[in-house]
Amino acid sequence: MIKHDLTWAAGLVLLGLALGLVTQWGVIQHGLQGTLELQIAAVEKEEAARRLAAIRTYTLDQALARHQEGRTLFIDAREPDEFRELHIERALNIPASQISAKFVAAALAGVALDHPIVVYCGSVDCHASLRVAEFLQKLGYTQVGVYEGGFRAWDEAGYPVDIVR
Amino acid sequence: MVSAPGMKQGIPLTSSAKRWLLLAIRLLLGGVFLYASLDKILKPYHFAAAVQAYQLLPPSLLGMATVFIPWLEAVAATALIIGFRPRSAVVVLSVLMVVFMIAIAVTMARGLDIDCGCGLLVERPVGWLALLEDGLLLLLLVGLYTALLPQRSPVS
Repeated sequence: MIKHDLTWAAGLVLLGLALGLVTQWGVIQHGLQGTLELQIAAVEKEEAARRLAAIRTYTLDQALARHQEGRTLFIDAREPDEFRELHIERALNIPASQISAKFVAAALAGVALDHPIVVYCGSVDCHASLRVAEFLQKLGYTQVGVYEGGFRAWDEAGYPVDIVR
Repeated sequence: MVSAPGMKQGIPLTSSAKRWLLLAIRLLLGGVFLYASLDKILKPYHFAAAVQAYQLLPPSLLGMATVFIPWLEAVAATALIIGFRPRSAVVVLSVLMVVFMIAIAVTMARGLDIDCGCGLLVERPVGWLALLEDGLLLLLLVGLYTALLPQRSPVS
């Protein structure tokens, strides 16, 4: 009985493998030729661009203007150790990896839902800021934007930074 | 094997309630797995990214895993839904669940903080919740397998 089941299970597996080979040979081939990671990166970039289109973005100069004007809250979406080392002056740390409604409620206690917020992460290529910004939007924050250049561009421009003391 | 008229794959028609329950569980599990697999098949590179994040496979195997895992899931789920060799379909899905659980456990032990790639409707990180969910699905599958085994009906 069990042997019979296993035989048919093997049959189902073979059918699955055959269907996969026939319908998605291109993906397997990318894997074999070592070009799969490029494909993944391209799709991720496309996805990020699509998501960024739904959110307000700031260039380096615009972010600096917001910072100087003083009312905008900057949120650093990088990991706590990176944040401790150096971050945009007066920024708060909400790591994308630890994000939850509870974490945000604690970190943003007393911040009004329509308070202007700019989220950033490491560089142009990171998606952590996008994740945090989308999460904040879901929680009801209405004035959330992403500064796309990330901390690297800010630091290289020599704009105000801070360490955790 | 006892075979009575109307008996299929060894399910005795002793209790219609049990029959409906089994059908419901089959459809539910089949539906969940089919939905999950179609999402991965239709967006292969998204799934590839999720598998890549686990850092368990070299690129050459990554492509195969990306294609074969969802197709195995889809074929087994379809078999479960239409009632074609449902016990064998349950075996395939159970093996997949065990593989997923091992991958999640290894990832947790390594301390990687990634999306599990297993969220049906929302993104979820690898962690106890994902492991528990897969464990529950595995329990259901094992229970379903046992329930689908033919029972020796008492001859009255």
